[in-house]
Amino acid sequence: MVEVPLEIYRKSPQDAAPHYDRFQIEVEEHTPVLTVLLKVRDEIDPTLSLRYSCRQAICGSCAMRINGKSRLACRTPVGPEVRLRGRIRIDPMGNQPVLRDLVVDQKPFWDRYYAVKPYLIPDPAHPLPEGRESPMSPEQVEQFRETPRCISCASCYSACPAIASDPSFLGPMALAKLYRFAVDPRDGGYTQRLQAVQNQGLWLCLRCNLCVEACPKDVRPAERIVDLKWMANQELGAREPGSRHAIRFASNLTEGGLLNERRLAVDTLGLGGSLRQLPKAIAMMRKGRSLRRHPPIQGLNEVQAIYQALDRPEDLAHRERQKGADVKGPRPPLPPKATTQSAPPPSKGGSP
Amino acid sequence: MLVVGAGLAGQRAALEAVHAGRRVAVLTKLHPLRSHSGAAQGGINAAMGPQDSVHDHVYDTVKGSDYLADQDAVEILCRQAGPTVIEMEHFGTVFNRASDGTLDRRAFGGASYNRTIFAADRTGLALLQALFEEITREERLRIYEEYFALRLVVRDGRVQGVVALNRKTGTVEGFSAPAVVMATGPFGRMYSRTTNSHASTGDGCALAYRAGALLKDLEMVQFHPTALPGSGILITEGARGEGGILKNARGERFMERYAPHAKDLASRDVVSRSIATEVAEGRGFPDGTCHLELMHLGREKVETKLQEIVDFCRSFAGVDPVTQPIPVYPAQHYMMGGISTNPRGEATIPGLYAAGEAACVSVHGANRLGANSLLETLVFGKIAGANAAEHASRASPAEVTAGEVEEATRELHSLWDRKEGESPAALRTALQTLMDRNVGIFRSPGPLNEALAEIRRLKERYQHCHVADPSTVYNINLTDALELGHLLDLAEVVVRAALDRTESRGAHVRLDFPKRDDVHWLKHTLARWTPQGPELSYLPVTITEYTPKERSY
Ligand SMILES: Cc1cc2nc3c(=O)[nH]c(=O)nc-3n(C[C@H](O)[C@H](O)[C@H](O)COP(=O)(O)OP(=O)(O)OC[C@H]3O[C@@H](n4cnc5c(N)ncnc54)[C@H](O)[C@@H]3O)c2cc1C
Ligand code: SF4
Ligand code: SF4
Ligand code: FES
Repeated sequence: MVEVPLEIYRKSPQDAAPHYDRFQIEVEEHTPVLTVLLKVRDEIDPTLSLRYSCRQAICGSCAMRINGKSRLACRTPVGPEVRLRGRIRIDPMGNQPVLRDLVVDQKPFWDRYYAVKPYLIPDPAHPLPEGRESPMSPEQVEQFRETPRCISCASCYSACPAIASDPSFLGPMALAKLYRFAVDPRDGGYTQRLQAVQNQGLWLCLRCNLCVEACPKDVRPAERIVDLKWMANQELGAREPGSRHAIRFASNLTEGGLLNERRLAVDTLGLGGSLRQLPKAIAMMRKGRSLRRHPPIQGLNEVQAIYQALDRPEDLAHRERQKGADVKGPRPPLPPKATTQSAPPPSKGGSP
Repeated sequence: MLVVGAGLAGQRAALEAVHAGRRVAVLTKLHPLRSHSGAAQGGINAAMGPQDSVHDHVYDTVKGSDYLADQDAVEILCRQAGPTVIEMEHFGTVFNRASDGTLDRRAFGGASYNRTIFAADRTGLALLQALFEEITREERLRIYEEYFALRLVVRDGRVQGVVALNRKTGTVEGFSAPAVVMATGPFGRMYSRTTNSHASTGDGCALAYRAGALLKDLEMVQFHPTALPGSGILITEGARGEGGILKNARGERFMERYAPHAKDLASRDVVSRSIATEVAEGRGFPDGTCHLELMHLGREKVETKLQEIVDFCRSFAGVDPVTQPIPVYPAQHYMMGGISTNPRGEATIPGLYAAGEAACVSVHGANRLGANSLLETLVFGKIAGANAAEHASRASPAEVTAGEVEEATRELHSLWDRKEGESPAALRTALQTLMDRNVGIFRSPGPLNEALAEIRRLKERYQHCHVADPSTVYNINLTDALELGHLLDLAEVVVRAALDRTESRGAHVRLDFPKRDDVHWLKHTLARWTPQGPELSYLPVTITEYTPKERSY
């Protein structure tokens, strides 16, 4: 048994500021946080509000921040948390406005999910076979990698710093979902999907890996985002700043071992675009940052060796498979397809 | 038209109605993807193997049901199974594949062939996602997320719509519709030892019952043989399909004794009873469990084919199934009974339809075969949706009046505004412990009568319980209390019907009547709400081809 000192975030819509309520509860070490919260509700304070349903990490309802980390309450045992911090502090998820206590408004999260068109786009060149399953080998099923495991819990979304800094970023879950459709041999939207995200913040990911750490189902959204970047470059070429930046960054480094920021800016943004960055360049120089070209560094060959190792043939082959080139054949351009998120107006008392 | 519930059954009904040209509103107390359907692990049945046939699937289902299933309905279920699975595949479900690119199939209890199509051990999630993603295309379908249905409005002998509580704002709203499909899922939460989610509280069944619809076969409660003790989290039958075996504390593979032929893959009721008997007769482990062993299958197989189970055991029971046995005990799992419908999905009130676990068509009879219920949600969800749409297109306009909304609001407030009383949580715990103890796998009149009397007392106490939370925003204290009210009504029917049925059939085992009695009980139990409690009547079973014979595995 372990004594659990709990600090639970409380806020009602009328409250100007939130506060923490403190409780002390004794339970067994492996008891999930959710069980403890329900015990608080049943035995001490029935007004505590939260979302939960399955209690087995499959419905995705109970994500919250537990000692600062976005987790599912139903599969986070109390023991290790108490040992680590001496207490358990519970906050609502991040990046979503709080409705009350631990309940957040998930609209920003779902809107991004809808934005990636999370459904199969028909492929006129490869119609689904009538009356039977689409042929798909076990290897092709493997290509989905971990994405079918996603339970839409938004833990990753809650943890993602890029969303806070740029609201146009689709976020880890939506991009992992996009990947799931991009590699689907039944889907006809490969190019269209990649095109849409290439300009819509695929490159805003900071590669901090916090989403990977937060995900209870090991979907590894950050890795799927890297895969998508690679797929986008292969399919569309490095035609916009994000991908050009990534590619030039690498070539810049393999050439001299240090970043040449002036050249990187020109290569990424073009001459006109980089001229617009002039004020930033001046500010950088004022702070003592040199934008000159550096002489090649010592040990440049080691840097180059590292890059070569990263482009190992087996990695490339693996990515090639992910792209699904062997599965799909050439793709004709597709007619634009209307998204269908808008719904008929609420019909209070009317006849739906 | 209106669909209440957005699990597989509700979504499938809604999609079909939209395809039929209707505008559809779907009310759901949870986000659709949070529905309990997502928890289904093992798979979905369809006779798609080379030796298998629809005929065999029908036979296995009827036999599994202990002959209480309506055979015309079972035929529809099994005939539609293949097309349904293909359709879900075309909607985007990522099923496991065999090396030749076709759908992979696994063995499941009570089936003559490998018939269960699956997506790792998260088939429900895979289906739910694919179906939801399919319906997000539809403009004429609107989902009212986190709306809690409070009342089914019936006037002039027909359905007028539903009154619901918006959980985010606390407002009560009327939804008028000439056709309503109830697809609110199971009511396993009347037990504490259950595999069901916390939201599985039978709301739709209770609302329909209170509005005058008949409930069918509520005494038929299936226990899953292998749940983790304590949490009730289910270890899928797929584990035994892949070769897992059950052992008692003496190390005996005891299923060889109870079902010499099918052994560990015998029908659920048989395995549940066997485990309970082993424990009751002192051959269980000290914590009152038997053990499920997967160790002999090898790390590779266990970790790839049974991922989710490995994860459950490691995180919820502190057990590693690759190297350790899993302690298991039976827990309430599936409600064969529900809102009585015919094979068209029509309930007993004009304009009311039901589908999925909330409904009883009946295709499962006295005992559901594993992997048949996901199939049922989709097949009969579609049928109910189509027929409700057709009804809605013909019916004259329906109306939930302002007065009716006000009445429902007043009723809500009579519960909510009470200034003192017992907490609903205490009453719920009392109900659950009672059901675990008195209305479990083995039944006899003493405990059942005691349960009935106690439920009536709990219902009385419920009239005075106190919702402490005054907030209008996401007030789960209030919805908990409403759900408890539903569970109490339904528990009373379960116990009344279990007392009434003086035979043993499928999941219903009466110690005082150990034999099946086809002379008197080859019939469904129907229950109608009256102020004094449920009034029972009966309906003959539809038999087409298979005359009842003794079940052996
Ligand atoms: C752990 C587990 C594993 C299972 N595995 C399998 C399997 O492998 N194969 C198989 O065939 N079957 C399996 N089953 C059974 C199967 O999952 C269920 O029978 C089926 O999913 C029920 O679906 P449904 O659509 O009827 O209801 P649910 O999925 O429960 O959906 C109910 C819906 O109703 C809504 N709702 C409820 N009350 C209200 C209200 N008052 N107002 C508004 N909305 C409301 C909910 O929000 C939800 O959307 C399993 C069940 C469990 C518990
Ligand atoms: S790796 Fe990218 S997507 Fe993941 S949390 Fe960091 S910024 Fe967000
Ligand atoms: S990717 Fe992981 S963390 Fe993000 S929503 Fe899906 S399951 Fe949750
Ligand atoms: S309660 Fe369903 S994921 Fe935690």
